Amino acid sequence: MPLKGLKGRKALVTGAASGIGHAVAARLRNEGVEVFATDIHQTGKLIVCDLTDQGEVEDLAGKIPAIDFLVNVAGGPVAPTRKNTLPSLPKNSLVLESIKDVEWHAVIAANLTSAFLVCREFAPKMKARKFGRIVNFASIAARRGSSRVGVHYAAAKGGIIGLTKTLALELGPHNITVNAIAPGYIKTERIAKAAWGHDSPAAEQAFIASLPLKRAGKPDDVAAVVAMLCSEAGGYVSGATLDVNGGWYFGP
Amino acid sequence: MQVYYQTAMKTAIVTGAAKPDSIGFAVARGLREEGCDVVVADLYEQGFAELKDFLCIRTDVSDPVAVQEMIDKTVSKRKRIDYLVNAVGGSWGITQRDLTAPPPRGFRGLLNCTPEDWRTILGANLDSAWYCSRAAAPHLKKQGGAIVNVSSVAARKGIPPGAEGSSGPYAVAKAGVMALTRQLALELGEFGVRVNCVAPGVVSSGRLKKVLSFSQKNQIPEGSMAQIPMGRVGTVDEIASLVVALCTDDTSYMTGVVIDANGASYAA
Repeated sequence: MPLKGLKGRKALVTGAASGIGHAVAARLRNEGVEVFATDIHQTGKLIVCDLTDQGEVEDLAGKIPAIDFLVNVAGGPVAPTRKNTLPSLPKNSLVLESIKDVEWHAVIAANLTSAFLVCREFAPKMKARKFGRIVNFASIAARRGSSRVGVHYAAAKGGIIGLTKTLALELGPHNITVNAIAPGYIKTERIAKAAWGHDSPAAEQAFIASLPLKRAGKPDDVAAVVAMLCSEAGGYVSGATLDVNGGWYFGP
Repeated sequence: MQVYYQTAMKTAIVTGAAKPDSIGFAVARGLREEGCDVVVADLYEQGFAELKDFLCIRTDVSDPVAVQEMIDKTVSKRKRIDYLVNAVGGSWGITQRDLTAPPPRGFRGLLNCTPEDWRTILGANLDSAWYCSRAAAPHLKKQGGAIVNVSSVAARKGIPPGAEGSSGPYAVAKAGVMALTRQLALELGEFGVRVNCVAPGVVSSGRLKKVLSFSQKNQIPEGSMAQIPMGRVGTVDEIASLVVALCTDDTSYMTGVVIDANGASYAA
């Protein structure tokens, strides 16, 4: 049976040009959801929006109808800019001393401020309609820490978990659920290019062999969990962070 | 029947599924809708008549010998086991003689329960999940599959002393179910068997209705309704959909995970 409660709904998916966001938009469309997709750069029918800019988020809200599902995927360990919309990931670990002020602020803005601005824009409309599902993106970096991606990314994603829990309390009375997904090693194209976190193919293989499920994740694996949270199965789940990591780390 | 997931022709065992209005019952129906052949293992034989589409096996899941017999019977009749849902449990009133009796009154905390209470409650909620998982594992490992355990928000936050129809050992047993989930996930991962857990808050099952019948207005087993931000209890169908999703390929990259489904009443 198709997942219950998805067909005919409307969704906004951010960061939808590539990777997990792209997979989320495709999966929801497959379930009969009308998807409005956004990213910082133009590809296909995406709406271009810099989500760290409050004015642009307001403009975005003016371009689309009221939505039922909000999926905040936009983000990443290296903040995009209008000129470099999908920056390459560094091959080596980002150590504390190497992170510049400007990088700290940019990564916090791209991952955390963006989610705040988008929620602040769209949650009141969900409240008015007495229905909503919000799915935010945390990361394994916030759950167990990370020796690769840098403190700015881990801190921003930790912030996402706090934002998720607090919004769950605040929006629960309005029949809006708010949850986060914390993906593990998901082999998007960008991560595959950087062999993210691994010095050699052999090191990557050894890491994958150490995972209980013995494989890297796919964007579709994560998109399916988003669909689940938006469906009937997610109706009473709120304030939760779901680890989608093949057993790498079990959360609290 | 239109089949959506790769669940057709698969065999699922659901324990504690014979009582109408129970999470297990809704899970059994949900897996049937996905095309699974569903085996119901339960002590509550009175419910078997309503379960015509299912292979029902009378089982005391707190007895390892009975569990092994149930697994053997399933395999001899269905040749395989793909999913195991450990939905049996309860905060008390879970022995054969309690099945049809009204729930006992009051709260049995850790300081006023007897060793017999402790053993009965841990047996039904925790030992049962281990016995069933251990006996099903050799069959799950053959082709891969999933185990889903049902825990409780009580394992996260405890149960307020005085809560009607609840007990201290229940909170302990359900915390054990979470740890059992993680440990089994490690032991079974390489065989393509995922092990996950749902931790529901207060759910409008038949049991809740019984407890509410003698509780004060707006009081639920966990305290007051005001403690649930979503302002309502969960439905059996919501929890069952979540359990079914943890069997299907939608969660193929999740293992060892506990999903809290409590209306935002406790964020872990």
